[in-house]
Amino acid sequence: MARLFRLWGKKRGHRRTGSKLVGSLGEAVFFAVLLILGVVSLTSLITTYVLRPQPEVLVLGSGYGFWLLVLVFASFIAIGAGGLILSVFQVGTSEERRSALARRATSIELISEALHEPKDFPAIPSDVNQTNSPGIQLKYRLPMSQMSVWTLIAMSIFCVLWALIAVMLTVVVLKTPLTDLSSYALAAFAIPVVAIAVWSMNHLRKQLRIQTGIGPTSVEISEHPLTVSKEYEVFVSQAGRLYLNQFEVALVCEEEATYSQGTDVRTEQRIVFQETIFLEKDFSIDPSIEFNHRCSLRIPDHMMHSFQGANNGVSWHIRVSARGQAWRRFDRQFPIVVYPQFDSGVSHD
Amino acid sequence: MIEPLISLMLFEPGRVFRAGDELNCEFQIDAVEKSELTGVEASVLWYTEGKGDEDRGIHYFERRTPADAVGQDLRQLHQIKTTLPNSPLTYDGYIVKIRWCVRVRAFFRRGKEVFFERPFQLGDVLKPKSQFSKSDVGPETEGPLDAEE
Repeated sequence: MARLFRLWGKKRGHRRTGSKLVGSLGEAVFFAVLLILGVVSLTSLITTYVLRPQPEVLVLGSGYGFWLLVLVFASFIAIGAGGLILSVFQVGTSEERRSALARRATSIELISEALHEPKDFPAIPSDVNQTNSPGIQLKYRLPMSQMSVWTLIAMSIFCVLWALIAVMLTVVVLKTPLTDLSSYALAAFAIPVVAIAVWSMNHLRKQLRIQTGIGPTSVEISEHPLTVSKEYEVFVSQAGRLYLNQFEVALVCEEEATYSQGTDVRTEQRIVFQETIFLEKDFSIDPSIEFNHRCSLRIPDHMMHSFQGANNGVSWHIRVSARGQAWRRFDRQFPIVVYPQFDSGVSHD
Repeated sequence: MIEPLISLMLFEPGRVFRAGDELNCEFQIDAVEKSELTGVEASVLWYTEGKGDEDRGIHYFERRTPADAVGQDLRQLHQIKTTLPNSPLTYDGYIVKIRWCVRVRAFFRRGKEVFFERPFQLGDVLKPKSQFSKSDVGPETEGPLDAEE
């Protein structure tokens, strides 16, 4: 039996130690206290002002303290009231009932349209992005995963900011004569900062070279979404001036789990299926003639379909990867959506 | 107080269903006074297990109070019926697992609640045979994604 009060709760499988009722009560008390604190403080602040009016505090620019306090106490009231209403609403409501209410909300037409989840296939992501671009050789041209672009943008921002810090620190060090211990400490501190800046700029330069030096890769597919146990045609095109030691097109299935660890949110990925659908060795690509290849792929029987939850997912993609002389390796991923095999004749829309 | 007993039975002995199949089950609650029960919820749902935080999806949900039951007795045998969806199918992956179950939750006076669930399988997805680390990606499995000078 769960103890009435436990400072630290533990998760044991599905069950958590400690009383759920005490937890909900504690949460409600916390928000109630916040609400009372906000109401009392805001009332006393306004009452104080009414009893001893100071006109200058109402003019923006001269009385920031008063307005800041009003803002803080008002936010206490908003957070406290919102939290308290939510806590009271959740008392005696099971997790299934809350989920059912949430599901009912998502079935409202406008919300369900915004969510882009196929009506007949719950928890399978929409394939809108995969089917909005027609192909030249086959029906659809698949979009490339944008992850590498975002990584590059994040890397560029980090590089610029770090370089600015390094430059400013270097200027300060150069202007400070090395006379005492603090100036030596500052100079010593500047060395790793500058070293990181140089390393990150060099790394960014290499990444930019990979992204811009290799020509565009294009993947087209005969049908989308894909279904387990069915076969499809794939057309791959690679442009650029490249000599490649190996060029591979593979079908990949990957699991992804996001979990909280303390205050961090971590994501783990695990490839659970990969199959080479095309492999070519030692050849060159001329800028005037693209490398083109048509092949077929089949989603094996009894494989898991695409799945997308808030914290977990199973995703499929076609991966084009190559090893060249100028580049050790590059990977480009083209996400696809795989449906389960079905016999009932329901539509994908 | 004696711990209430929830009996839940699926009409499919193997508890293996295909998408679009009809799920029939019945349940009843024993070892509790009629007046003690304030509500009973029955749901057919999927949830995830594994490394990630739990995701959950409710396919069927029904809540009954004494006013909804014959003679205001929620303990009596009650049947639920639903057509199972096309997805997500039951999956036993490495870091993501999807389970389906029928869950009955009973609410008693003074805030006490108990639940019982009966798992079942939807679809025939096999467990992945092997797993690959990120370093296995690519035609040659050496070195990070990096440029050579």
